[in-house]
This record gives sequence, C-alpha cells and structure tokens, in this order.
Amino acid sequence: MVSVALILLFVLSCIVLRLISVIRRTRTRFSDARPTPPKTCSLAVFLGSGGHTSEALVLLSALDFSRYSPRKYIYSQGDILSAKKAVNLESLKAPECTSHPVHSTDATTPYTLVSIPRARRVHQSLFTTPVTAARSLITCLYHVTIAPLLSGHPFADVLVVNGPGTCCMLCLAVYVNRFFGFHSPKMIYVESFARVKTLSLSGKLLRPFVDRSPSCRFVVQWPELLNDGGRGECRGWLI
Amino acid sequence: MYAFVTVGSTRFDGLVQRALSDAVLDVLRAKGYSKIVVQCGNSEFDTKSYEWTGETWVRRGEEHIEVWRFKPSLQEEYEQADLVISHAGSGTIIDVLRLRKPLIVIPNSTLLDNHQEELASTLAQLRHLKASTISELPKAIESLEPSGFVPFPVFDGSRFREMLDEEMGFA
Repeated sequence: MVSVALILLFVLSCIVLRLISVIRRTRTRFSDARPTPPKTCSLAVFLGSGGHTSEALVLLSALDFSRYSPRKYIYSQGDILSAKKAVNLESLKAPECTSHPVHSTDATTPYTLVSIPRARRVHQSLFTTPVTAARSLITCLYHVTIAPLLSGHPFADVLVVNGPGTCCMLCLAVYVNRFFGFHSPKMIYVESFARVKTLSLSGKLLRPFVDRSPSCRFVVQWPELLNDGGRGECRGWLI
Repeated sequence: MYAFVTVGSTRFDGLVQRALSDAVLDVLRAKGYSKIVVQCGNSEFDTKSYEWTGETWVRRGEEHIEVWRFKPSLQEEYEQADLVISHAGSGTIIDVLRLRKPLIVIPNSTLLDNHQEELASTLAQLRHLKASTISELPKAIESLEPSGFVPFPVFDGSRFREMLDEEMGFA
C-alpha cells in the first residue's frame, strides 16, 4: 500500500513540476513534426459505460475505419456491455473496411479490447477512492507508457474520451508520456450531450489541461458551456 | 398500442413503482395501450400482483403487462413501442428520439449530480420530448399529443469526422 502511494506521489510530483512547461508548448511545434499526411492513424477510445459508451461509439461510427486503424477500445473492468457494443460496431463497420485497401501492418487485427479498473465505483466511499484510483492509474500507465516502450508499438495516435472519472487516469498517463518525451497520442475530449449548462466533473478537471495543451481539443455540444469565456469549441451536436 | 417504460442500466425505484401503480396503468389503458412493458433494471418493486415466469414478471390476470430487468439491447422495444416513458439518461433519449417515437422522460432527482434535469428541460423546451415528474406522470400521459413534437435532427457524423480528420492531418 505504501509503495503504491509512493509511486503515485512520485508520478504526481513529476507532473506538477513539469506540467507548466509541457502544456505551454505551442500547437505548431507538433504539426510541424508531421509534414506529410499519414496513411492510417491508430485510435484509442474510452468507453465509460452507459450513455458515455453509447455516445463514444456514435462518434466513432462517423469515422472512416480504413483511415483510423487499428482501433483500441478501453472499457472499465466488468463492463461487458460496453465491450459487446464495441464488437457490435466493429461488425457493422466491417464491410466498409474491407472495401478499402488497408495500409496498416496490423490489418489482421483491426481492433483490440482493453479493460482497466475503475478509478471510483458509483457510491464508493471517498476514503477508499485514492486506492482504487491509484490501481486504475497504474493499469493506465502500463497500457499507455510501459507496454508501448517494451513492444515498440505506440499506444495510439489519438485518444478520444468523453468521461466519466476513469478517463482522467488515462489522460494522466498520456501526460506522463509527454513529460518524459515518449510518443503520446493527441487527445480529444468530447463533453457529453447530456451536459447542457454545467460541465461534468471530468470536463472541469481536464479542461485546463486538455484545452491549453498542444494536440488536445476540448469539445462541447451545447454553446452555453462556453459562456464562461473559458476555451473550448462547439460545433453543435456531434451525436 | 404498446407503451414501454425503461430505466436503462440504472436503479430508479420511484419511476418503476409509479409506472406499475393503478394511477398510471389506468391512464395507459384508457389511452388504448393494451401492452405495457416495464424494463426495471436494478430497481425494486412490489412483486405481489406479479407472477415470475422464469424470464419476466407477468401481472396476474393481465398477461400484456410485464416487467423484466435487462435485455442486451432495447432497440427492438423502442422500435415496436408507440410510447416510451424513460429516465432522462442521454443514451436512451437519443436512441428513442432518433426513431421519432413519442417520449416522456422523468429525471431521476435522487442522483447526486442531477444533470438529467438539465437535458430533459432543454429538450422539452425544444419540443423534442415531454419532461415530467413521478407525481405528474399520469397527467403527462393523459395530455400527451404526439403530433406536437418537433422531429429530432438526424445524425450528422460529418462534424466529428471533419474535426478529427483535420486534427490528424487527413483534411
């Protein structure tokens, strides 16, 4: 338990110390780094269960899967329904994928499912939350930071999240990659359609980072959410 | 006609119990809904007037009124229903409105962070659905005018696709 807390403390203090310099990098530096358009782009999406999963999969259904390949569906441990919905979307989109030539070397495995522990269960006591959150973060660090280093395959080129809480752990792991200068995905945070006048807790937590960082976008679906003058963008309903 | 009541994957005892009350069943029967199905999720209700058939609870003497907890997909129920009464979860709202079905939503006011109310009242103002409360539900069903709803816009995937293509250098 103590060692877990120490690891977490170390990671957190690293992030706090370096975050300012990381988030102040300009957008252009990153776009300059990729002068030619890519043939394919690997995508990871977090399925936060219930309405979050439905919305995330509706967003994905709009994409050209031969372009965004391979795909990684991250779901909360035990949330079999989200995993099934992802498989269902894949089977619906399969005919479309095969009609285009697939350039990716991973064409044989166009998608994978990854489960991570929840940062906090519904109705869980606040006292035990740090423990579950730390366990969740360590799993995220494994998938986002450590496994890519060991295998040489980056986690993803872009990460799409729309809440709830556990997605913050994924984003934190992405920031660890940025801090150490490892390959890190671009991040797109899409606030839920359900949020009309107030941001969700994940939205409030991630907005200051996602919004000012290079290669990150903070997107809402109701313009009122931007009335506070904070940054972010709204292109109307995305779902 | 078929009325489908759903709470999705949540627990919402208030809505389930109200939907199975005489006040609501009477008004549904009077409006011509002969088939009434309640998907109760993790909610608790008084099963005394119901018989467990191994898959669903069926109301004694009225086999067209039944209750069950979950099915992998509710899409088929939405498609068959002539009226959907639901908690105000965004997933359910979108699924039902995309099918252009009359929808009455009851925000779950027992939720800690009650954003359901926000979405329900906004969409009610836009006349895409009717928002009500547990106590007002019979009245909401009674006064329902399906022709008064404004059709929900069809899904436009181009917005998110263009945004991501732009970000990833495909545009």
